[in-house]
Amino acid sequence: MKLLRPRLLSFAADLFLWAYLLYSGFTLYYLEALWSPWRPEEKLVWPALSPWGWAVVVVGMVEAVLLTRSFGPSLGQRVLGVHLVGEGGRRPTFAQRLAYFGFSHLEILVLGAGVWLNPQNPWHERWAGLRLEPLPPLGSEARRPPWYRTAYGLTALLLIAATLAVGWRLTEVDLQKLVRFAPKSLRIWRGLTNPSFEYLFRPDPRIKLSFLDGLVQSLYMALLATVAGIVVAFPLSFAGARNIAARSPFGWLLYSLTRGFFNVFRAVESVFWASIFAIWVGFGPFAGSMALFIHTIAALGKLFSEQVEHIDPGPVEALTATGANLLQILRYAVVPQVIPQFLAFSLYRWDINLRMATVVALVGGGGIGQLLFEYKDDLQWNLVGGVIILFMVTVWIMDYVSGWVREKIV
Amino acid sequence: MRGRRGERRLPPLFVMPHLVVENLTKIYERGKIRALSNVNFSVEKGEFLVLIGLSGSGKSTLLRCINRLVEPTSGRIFLNGVELTKLSPRAMRKVRRRIGMVFQQFNLVKRATVLQNVLAGRLGYNPTLPTLFGRFPKEDVRRAQECLARVGLLDKVYVRADQLSGGQQQRVGIARALMQEPELLLADEPVSALDPATSHSVMQYIEQINKEDGVTVIASLHFLSLARRYGQRIIALKAGEKVFDGKPEEIDDRKFKEIYGEEAEEVEVR
Repeated sequence: MKLLRPRLLSFAADLFLWAYLLYSGFTLYYLEALWSPWRPEEKLVWPALSPWGWAVVVVGMVEAVLLTRSFGPSLGQRVLGVHLVGEGGRRPTFAQRLAYFGFSHLEILVLGAGVWLNPQNPWHERWAGLRLEPLPPLGSEARRPPWYRTAYGLTALLLIAATLAVGWRLTEVDLQKLVRFAPKSLRIWRGLTNPSFEYLFRPDPRIKLSFLDGLVQSLYMALLATVAGIVVAFPLSFAGARNIAARSPFGWLLYSLTRGFFNVFRAVESVFWASIFAIWVGFGPFAGSMALFIHTIAALGKLFSEQVEHIDPGPVEALTATGANLLQILRYAVVPQVIPQFLAFSLYRWDINLRMATVVALVGGGGIGQLLFEYKDDLQWNLVGGVIILFMVTVWIMDYVSGWVREKIV
Repeated sequence: MRGRRGERRLPPLFVMPHLVVENLTKIYERGKIRALSNVNFSVEKGEFLVLIGLSGSGKSTLLRCINRLVEPTSGRIFLNGVELTKLSPRAMRKVRRRIGMVFQQFNLVKRATVLQNVLAGRLGYNPTLPTLFGRFPKEDVRRAQECLARVGLLDKVYVRADQLSGGQQQRVGIARALMQEPELLLADEPVSALDPATSHSVMQYIEQINKEDGVTVIASLHFLSLARRYGQRIIALKAGEKVFDGKPEEIDDRKFKEIYGEEAEEVEVR
């Protein structure tokens, strides 16, 4: 199996690469030639090919794979660290490569039977007088051709170009629009640069909240969510650290579950949690803080447990040797090593939570974000400008202070 | 037959040495490395035994098998007639309290004070809850100061461990082991990270504990000259096997080459 792996995996990688290039080509053709942004309602189907057309495409794909594999390391071979060499490690000659290309076709026709039967040195390699050998480590080789003269370099270039081109089309990038519709946004800019602080202290009669009320509410939302998040994330971080938890089968299970929990809950954005809690407990700051709290547990838990994994194992070993139990070891050997980083991450998280506190207002999280989105919906850009400036100043001060504190404790 | 704490004991008919190691084998799962194969020896109470051998010969593994920081693959270890290799984790923790250990890299908590590091040697004797809040009996604090006084560090009690020199850190390590009131002291290359002059000072503290308190010491050492100076008996390991067991004087030139390989030459640490 060990010998099969580089051959099969690199072939699979090459096949996948060319299939991807083909897909990108089709997508670009479809978007460029058939689909029109001005008539999106017109039903269009993917370019249909006759059965023999598909056959040509598949055969062409396999040919491209075999060609790159025969002439110079293909991207798949390069990634798996193998290349073709002749007798005694010499560079293959053109004739040998051509023979390898031909015999590879035979191997494909018998569904790779040679590779399965003789993984050491399959027929197509033996007949061409070549072997697939591990690449020598970087620097040990006399001279490697520059990347733009190798098969893998050129295919990698093609891969990057195709990906960027498809990305450009799929995200509907249109630089013209940026310029053409600029005057439309002028009203907004004018409002934002003439901020109004009308409701800085006085509550807005409609929303019944002043700027400062909102800001203070947001600050406390962030603070509470962060503190509660730390309280839960702290003990969990030991369960999520491989060096502490994963020592027995049960511990391994605990570790995997904790890490899985962190990853899943971190992947889901706070906004999503906020919309769940807005329905669960009703609109308002409580829903927002719950959303921030859940996300904080997962994010801090992961950061914390990574710190625990990076501790010096020496003290743990030493205290194990004195007969201390697990809790005592955590308290005396692990916690002192991670406390400064834990504090720094927690402060940083408060920063993030304050910023997130405005975003969760989008789905009814309360706080200063509520004002922001209400005014935005009413196109009251002067008030939006006022809220943004107040918020920016707050975040700037927080950033500065927490940065200063972090510097002191680490 | 069962002892006072429910430990399995051999019938008193056999008077066993302090520590007995029987057919000890350790194979590391990853890479199938045979770190120890069939090692047999016994140590009398109050003996100063030195392990020598090249790096990777299994000295550290052997020491860690004795207090089961490393789980032996097979073989038996008896301390005072109690079979350590059969003990439950909880019972093993109880036994570990009486086995001090000193490490090559000192293994102190760098950010904690000297006192906290030394008190940590007492954790196994104290109930969990108070220690989690950093509370230790007054008696233990007094004892910690005594131990620090013994290694000449009484003026460093409240200093952070990372402020100390290597030799001082190792002395804190020794004080931590002393806190355990050990009957057996394992020292894993205690002076490899120190310069020659400091090495002797640290070794002398270990020797003092051996002589004055009658603590059995098993120390692994890199330099044969140190081993000759401090060891009452020497065991040499080579590729996990015991190749010598005897008095320091018995290691002649031929024996030396056998242990350390043909190209090796003896260097002396003064």
